[in-house]
Amino acid sequence: MASVTLDNVTKAYGDEIAVEDMNLEIRDGEFLTLVGPSGCGKSTTMETIAGLTQPTEGSVYIGGRDVTDLPPKDRGIAMVFQNIALFPHMDVYDNISFGLRLRKYDQEEIEKRVDRAAEIVQLGGMMDRMPEEMSGGQRQRVAIARAIVRQPDVFLMDEPLANLDAELRIHMRTQLQRLHRELDTTIIYVTHDQAQAMTMSDRVAVIDNGHLQQVDPPLTCYNAPDNLFVASFIGSPAMNFFHGAVTDDGFGSEFMNLGFDPEEIGATPGKDATLGIRPEDVYLKRDREEATVPSETIKAHVDVLEPMGDEVFTYLLLEEDVETSAEGRGEGQLLLSLDPQTDIEEGQKVEVVFDRHEAHLFDSASEEAIAHSLA
Amino acid sequence: MESSQDAVAGAGTGEHAVEDRRARLRRFWKSDFVRSAPYWGIPLLLMGLAVYGGIIWNILISLTDYQGFLERPDYGNLDLEMYRQALSDSAVHLTARNTFVLLVAFTSVSLVLGLFLAVLLDRDIREKSKVQTIYLLPMALSFVVTAQFWLWMYNYNDGLVNTVIGLFGLGPYNWIGNPSLVLGAVIFALIWQFSGYTMVVFLAGLQSISNDQFEAARVDGASIFKTYWRVIIPQLKSSSVSAAVVLMIFALKIFTFLYAMFGTYRPPKGTDVLATLMVREAFQLQKWAYSASIATILLAMSLLVIAPYLYYQYREGAL
Repeated sequence: MASVTLDNVTKAYGDEIAVEDMNLEIRDGEFLTLVGPSGCGKSTTMETIAGLTQPTEGSVYIGGRDVTDLPPKDRGIAMVFQNIALFPHMDVYDNISFGLRLRKYDQEEIEKRVDRAAEIVQLGGMMDRMPEEMSGGQRQRVAIARAIVRQPDVFLMDEPLANLDAELRIHMRTQLQRLHRELDTTIIYVTHDQAQAMTMSDRVAVIDNGHLQQVDPPLTCYNAPDNLFVASFIGSPAMNFFHGAVTDDGFGSEFMNLGFDPEEIGATPGKDATLGIRPEDVYLKRDREEATVPSETIKAHVDVLEPMGDEVFTYLLLEEDVETSAEGRGEGQLLLSLDPQTDIEEGQKVEVVFDRHEAHLFDSASEEAIAHSLA
Repeated sequence: MESSQDAVAGAGTGEHAVEDRRARLRRFWKSDFVRSAPYWGIPLLLMGLAVYGGIIWNILISLTDYQGFLERPDYGNLDLEMYRQALSDSAVHLTARNTFVLLVAFTSVSLVLGLFLAVLLDRDIREKSKVQTIYLLPMALSFVVTAQFWLWMYNYNDGLVNTVIGLFGLGPYNWIGNPSLVLGAVIFALIWQFSGYTMVVFLAGLQSISNDQFEAARVDGASIFKTYWRVIIPQLKSSSVSAAVVLMIFALKIFTFLYAMFGTYRPPKGTDVLATLMVREAFQLQKWAYSASIATILLAMSLLVIAPYLYYQYREGAL
């Protein structure tokens, strides 16, 4: 068990800056997830912690000890890789015990530790199997056992579930949470999948473009995103955005207007702003009492319905002639999620409201959040 | 299944039967088998006649007593007399021993050297991602060029080899003239030509191993040397097998090289191999049947070399 601290870490590959001036404190025993789109620098951050790459500037501390110049094996870390990276010519026992054998532990200790690790990941009786004879999930468990036997202070997991099929991924998600509870070790987890980040972590560190965007518990990131990037990245399907400006008496844009006192929330009239509303905070007019503070009625018509089983994603066009783009949801479109029992059809005209208490306002220029409630 | 049902249905009247036959003929001409025939048929015919036909004929001749140009081989009287002669011939023993030494020394040194070069280059590629084809260039030279070139290198009076070791106060050695040195000299020249090839085979194998194998070993505490020794090189099994087979085949068809180097069917005694003995018996002495039996022995040796490879491929499910 140990805390991990990144102090002003910058990593550049030539002119390409992968991570810039990263400051991050991971607490002892915490499950922290680094999440962000591909190429955002999350893997580089993890490699820097592992010691697989040297930071260009800054320092890395593990358990209060400066490990910036130490090789991976002396950092008290163990790592699980995206491609699992089992050694194909070794059986399960040899794979799990490889690190211990290199360190010349005595036979008895090795066997004890391997047995214990195999028990934790439920691999009993498979010790002499070769990796090629195992399923993806079993191989992943071997990789985790290989990390456990080292009894590391910090576990590093680089997209360990990315190559598993959907069902197994969800199963392994709960397995990893149990593992965290059982081992009570610091776990740093890298993923681009915000669902994994949300479900497993104590805290989530959202990274974009080599910069840390927000470090908070998952629900804080969801309910009070610090900026536009976090708001759009966390949550599936993504938030609805309307680009406009702060007016003297609220927010105005091409398709959506909202009245409030700018002074009260610290907004400056005349400044460009973006309004964000999550799909589940939009309601049909007849269900308006479900909203804490319902907005005024918005007229729209139904464009596309996507029944998901437990809910129906309903894409609305706020005006008839709104252009839909292949790039994504654009201005003038509004997504809401409805109960599957709702009798609604494509092409139908509807009236909706949204919950002002859950509406977010962002400064368009700086992308920083201004308010997380416009009630 | 479908066509047999058609046949039964059409058997009712003669007209139907004719039409049915035509339809089947048309289907036959349009079938993949017929339409692809030019592509596999011609190579099959050429291979069958030139290679396998040749082998069979050679074995047949080796069972006769055919020699000289005066009469045709007598296929009526086949026996193993030539093999009996060959197995008790001291020239065959000597050349077989040389062939074997050449095969083992050349193959193993080329493999080890090629692997070593490949690992060095692999480090370079993994860190700087650039490839140097310079090591492969010797492979592109023909046997004749290499032979001539090394003949000059080994020249007693002013060859580069003697000049260089002369700087250290050694030599000069008569690399070509001394029977105990000449085989080593030939093997060295061959290694120079082929270790580049081995290196490329190993390098391809190394490049197919993903980076996280290295990272996993490193996190587990393995040094670079231990990573290669215990994790990476054991994964190069199939590369080693295929490189070794190619090298051994080349070692067995060394005739070209020796002929190009010495310009005669009789290379210096120390480097006389089965292949040169065979050519000498055939084209200098016209002992066709006897040289055919040596050829068969050489073929058997080649098959012996390939057999483990075929078995390996078979076990891996690649055949």
